[in-house]
Amino acid sequence: MRRFDYLRPKSLKEALQQKKTIAGAKFISGGTDLLVQIKNRELQPPTLISLRSIPELATIEINGGARIGALATISDIIQHNELGLNYPVLVEAARRLGSVQIRNVATVGGNLCNCSPSADMALPLLVLEAKVRLRTAKARREIQISEFFKGPGESCLSSDEILTDIILDPPHQKAKATFLKKGRVKMDLAIASLAVLLEMEGGKCRKARIAAGSVAPVPLRLYKVEALLEGSTVTEKLAAEAQRLATKIISPITDIRATEEYRRQIVRVYVKRGLEKILG
Amino acid sequence: MNNFRYIGKETRRPDAPDKAAGKAHYIHDLRRPGMLYGKIKFSDHPHARIKHIDTSKAERLNGVRAVITSNNSPEVRLGFLRDNLALKKDKVRQYRDEIAAVAAIDPDIAEEAVELIKVEYEPLPGLFSPREAMKKGSPLIHETDAQGRPRTDNLLPLRFHHESGDLDAGKRAAKYVAEGEFSTPRVQQCCMGTAGCIAEFDMNNNLTIWAKTQIPFLAQRDFNRALSDMGLHDKNTRIIVPTIGGAFGTGLDTHAYEYIAILLAFQTGQPVKIVYTRDEEFAYLSPRQSSTTKIIQGCDQNGKLTFRQVEVTQDNGAYTSWGATYPSVMMIPATSLYRVSNVYFNAQLVYTNNTYCQAMRGYGNPEHTWALESNMDELAGEAGIDPYEFRMINCNRPKETTPMGLKVSTCGLKECLETVAKKLDWKKKSKKGKCRGKGMASLVHVGGGARIYRSDASGLILKLDDFGNVNAFHGGVEMGQGLHSVLTLGIAEALGVRPEKVFINPLDTSTCPWDVGTHASRGAFMACNTAILAANKLRDKIFELAEELFPQEVEKNLEKFRKKNPGYKPPDFDFVKAAKRERFDMQDGSIFIKDAPREPWLSLDLGRLLRTIHFRTQGQMLTTEVFYDPPNELPDFEKGFGNISATYAYGTQGVEVEVDTETGEVRIMRMVAAHDVGKVLNPPALKGQIYGALAQGVGYALYEELLSQKGKILNPNFRDYKIPTVQEMNFPVDLEFIETNDSFGPFGAKGVAEPGLVPTAPAIANAIYDAVGIRIRDLPITPEKILAALKKLKASKD
Amino acid sequence: MKTEISFILNGSEVKVTVDGHLRLIDVLRNTMGLTGTKEACGEGECGACTVIVDGKAVNSCLYPAHEIEGKSVITIEGLHVPKHKLSKIQQGFVDHGAIQCGFCTPGMIMSAKALLDSNPNPSDKEIREALQGNLCRCTGYVQIVEAVKRVARQMKGKQ
Repeated sequence: MRRFDYLRPKSLKEALQQKKTIAGAKFISGGTDLLVQIKNRELQPPTLISLRSIPELATIEINGGARIGALATISDIIQHNELGLNYPVLVEAARRLGSVQIRNVATVGGNLCNCSPSADMALPLLVLEAKVRLRTAKARREIQISEFFKGPGESCLSSDEILTDIILDPPHQKAKATFLKKGRVKMDLAIASLAVLLEMEGGKCRKARIAAGSVAPVPLRLYKVEALLEGSTVTEKLAAEAQRLATKIISPITDIRATEEYRRQIVRVYVKRGLEKILG
Repeated sequence: MNNFRYIGKETRRPDAPDKAAGKAHYIHDLRRPGMLYGKIKFSDHPHARIKHIDTSKAERLNGVRAVITSNNSPEVRLGFLRDNLALKKDKVRQYRDEIAAVAAIDPDIAEEAVELIKVEYEPLPGLFSPREAMKKGSPLIHETDAQGRPRTDNLLPLRFHHESGDLDAGKRAAKYVAEGEFSTPRVQQCCMGTAGCIAEFDMNNNLTIWAKTQIPFLAQRDFNRALSDMGLHDKNTRIIVPTIGGAFGTGLDTHAYEYIAILLAFQTGQPVKIVYTRDEEFAYLSPRQSSTTKIIQGCDQNGKLTFRQVEVTQDNGAYTSWGATYPSVMMIPATSLYRVSNVYFNAQLVYTNNTYCQAMRGYGNPEHTWALESNMDELAGEAGIDPYEFRMINCNRPKETTPMGLKVSTCGLKECLETVAKKLDWKKKSKKGKCRGKGMASLVHVGGGARIYRSDASGLILKLDDFGNVNAFHGGVEMGQGLHSVLTLGIAEALGVRPEKVFINPLDTSTCPWDVGTHASRGAFMACNTAILAANKLRDKIFELAEELFPQEVEKNLEKFRKKNPGYKPPDFDFVKAAKRERFDMQDGSIFIKDAPREPWLSLDLGRLLRTIHFRTQGQMLTTEVFYDPPNELPDFEKGFGNISATYAYGTQGVEVEVDTETGEVRIMRMVAAHDVGKVLNPPALKGQIYGALAQGVGYALYEELLSQKGKILNPNFRDYKIPTVQEMNFPVDLEFIETNDSFGPFGAKGVAEPGLVPTAPAIANAIYDAVGIRIRDLPITPEKILAALKKLKASKD
Repeated sequence: MKTEISFILNGSEVKVTVDGHLRLIDVLRNTMGLTGTKEACGEGECGACTVIVDGKAVNSCLYPAHEIEGKSVITIEGLHVPKHKLSKIQQGFVDHGAIQCGFCTPGMIMSAKALLDSNPNPSDKEIREALQGNLCRCTGYVQIVEAVKRVARQMKGKQ
């Protein structure tokens, strides 16, 4: 039976307390992934603890940088003017996540905590070098988002810990970023995706951040490619080298959505197209 | 040329307002008092002996009312060859085999009970491709046939064969030859409303079943036979068809779940409902068959086809449905699309341990046209002739008889080809730098019924009431395609009443006359032909009565009119003398004399006439029944000969695509579809049929495939089975309807429900070839296949 | 564990008692008997179950019933007020041949309504983005997109 109890704590404290005391309970935010997993018997939690009634989790604040509450929906992100102005790549990715109906309830925190290698929101946050704030009843910590993902469906969260906020540094004036995604049809889980961020100065790449989705057990930063580009002029030859290197770092698999080979090809093409798109 | 009052005009569908309001009731929305919910336990193996079924835990679960297996319920056979059992005994032959079923007071309990059923199996080697299954010494999927006679191989005992002319002579006459092997995948119909039924018995042991079916009267026959199998002899089934959420061929058979609901309802004495979830619909309902087609064609130096040789192998799956007769339709394009005189066609159907397959829109025609129209382009290439010119050279003509004996009455293929070439700017090559290309493909399909059963008939009862309303009882199924809309228009037009006065009653086998089924694009053709017949009968009767009643009633009209208009002088017209049946006409429910002056009083309202004859002494009411069997013949499919349809529909589709050679993506830039429809009955409904079919054709071409591994469906959901969304259909579609005014067609119309998806895939493949020079021969055309082909092409050039 | 929740359904306040695992669509179809909202996949892929919650289109098959507490829900049945007359958008679908089997229609109309309520003058691109979560197997979408465009024009003309 797919029966479970449903709790709606009104504060973070209450939620953390419930999580600690109820065996097997799971947190639910938007539920657009979790409820499908329950329907398909991949999970059978006896209790769901909803985070949707905790007001402070859903707010977005701009303060030079930005603090995005984990419960902010994908639509909240798309509709937030300043966020869009400061971090357009975030909105670009959000617009490719699911349908309007899904975006209206799916949350950015849920997208991250689901820890799918294809998580659309992970890629822009990786190239923006976001930090995430995690909290238990007793302790708080802040880590780099790149340290958050541990494997498919697996994060660094301990069982009584909640992802509360996503923190973004103030946008760099010269930073430009883009998000590319390939599905079987337009609205689809990514079979491969890529986010690229470059800061150019005097014709040279001062900073490069590149992340790829659906091509490794986790949403992946391509550090070696970044290092290759940084400090250099991005010539055709260097771009080709970046393409080659990117396809070497990733470890895609073949499944019913795509072959390993095809995923590699998409990353190869998207590295080039991402660089071209930013460099014009 | 007729001047129609309603036919061909923009009209709204009568069923649309309720659907827009959420008030249409589908099987999912229906409940009966005391109703239980049924759920099926399916097999855990593709091929295995059933050693033991333990239902004890399920039986003990609170809320469970019945658990049935082959051990405790009568044996009920089903299927085209009756090779399937509602509940399997001894052996399972596919993952979807029904082993047991539960009826419970709510769906959750039923589901939980099914999970408590434990089955012990002895696995057997599985056969998952026709090639494996055809190998000598392969294990037998069916050891015996339905009659218990031993079988020796895995081939179906169905023969579809055609030979005409002299194949060798045709080959000798060919200057150019093209040969290819083409394949198509299993695809799912993806009705938005899933399958389901409610079965209920009365205390006389007669059955009522609310069923999602396209063949209510053949289903009645099937279910009555099942009642006999259950020991209920001489009992009857009444089938009621609720609003249907799309069918696309799924309703052409009766299904095991329906028999299981019947068994559960009989066992419990309560109504039992079974509705499939989306996962069940994907995994446990029959998809379109997969096929492999070897084709060779040749032409002379002028491009005239000299022969065509076709061999089809179909993966039938574990049991046989009506869908096994796809080759009966494949023969039509094989023998009759383009003029070709020396033809060989043979189809072989093979049992495997894959899911068994059934009908889907087009019924073999998309599969075959995929091979034929791709190969036409290949042959044109060999001959160095432009693909459009090549098709024009071999174009079918009106009044010809094809090698299969199809009697072509009207044929708009030439106009269709010309239209597509013109609208697609065929002569103007696409910009090559952008990897763009154009392609076209044509089709022929049955357009005037299709006799695949002893009777190809359809009945209609029209019952007139005191208010001039026309109540129609028809056996054709409205499943979303707009049948009730065209039937309404057909009756209004032919009888001479307003469409608002026509009421199409829900389909119920106890009130509606027999109909073979709503398939083969026959719905509108049959319905409107019955409407014309019935209307003519009624008009004769009405005008006969009017001879007697018109003068006295019009006299009363005149008196009233005079009172209101003192000094009015009627025109010099002797309406008493003119009131002769042959001089009457009726329009919008008003009976008048054709050549009489148009005076407001000089007509008789139909309702008044009906009331007058009803309430006088020895009164009467008007009802008429007609039965229309079209002028076509049941072909001999073993010889591949016979005029299966009264008329044939033609069409050509053209497409321009852009291929991304790095990602393998195909982007459709625009499409043109020109179809010979005979006559447009209801423009928005017709457009909807073609647009919708095109989207299914695009899905078939580029996205859709029911993936399976050792018989197990891997993508039983919309997450991994992708159908086009509004984003994929994001290109201009230019429709053109060619009106050939067929003499057999009602108001000139032909059936057009299926043609829209038949040539779509080869048109796209031909455009891809034009764009980047690669020929994809297996559907769907995925980016992976494009990239692999491009790689191969590059290697061959280097 | 049963809990009483109250919410606004098509303009009227209702109270229902629900189990934890129930979804909004279960409450609508089974508890309230509003069968206009359809379930066609149960996992947010097809949009047939689309309703509007606090002004936003959501899949009612993925919406926990408990979360509806204090919110306002509009279903297809709530669009035609008075009850015997279709709303403009419903009428638009009827008038422009956008309906065939009708199973996707209520969800499609709710998505279109949510779009037009927030964006009365949508572009072709915006319409497609708003409707991409609603599958239709019958129509090929052409007349649906056309209907939404015409309704938008018609509503604009009235203002």
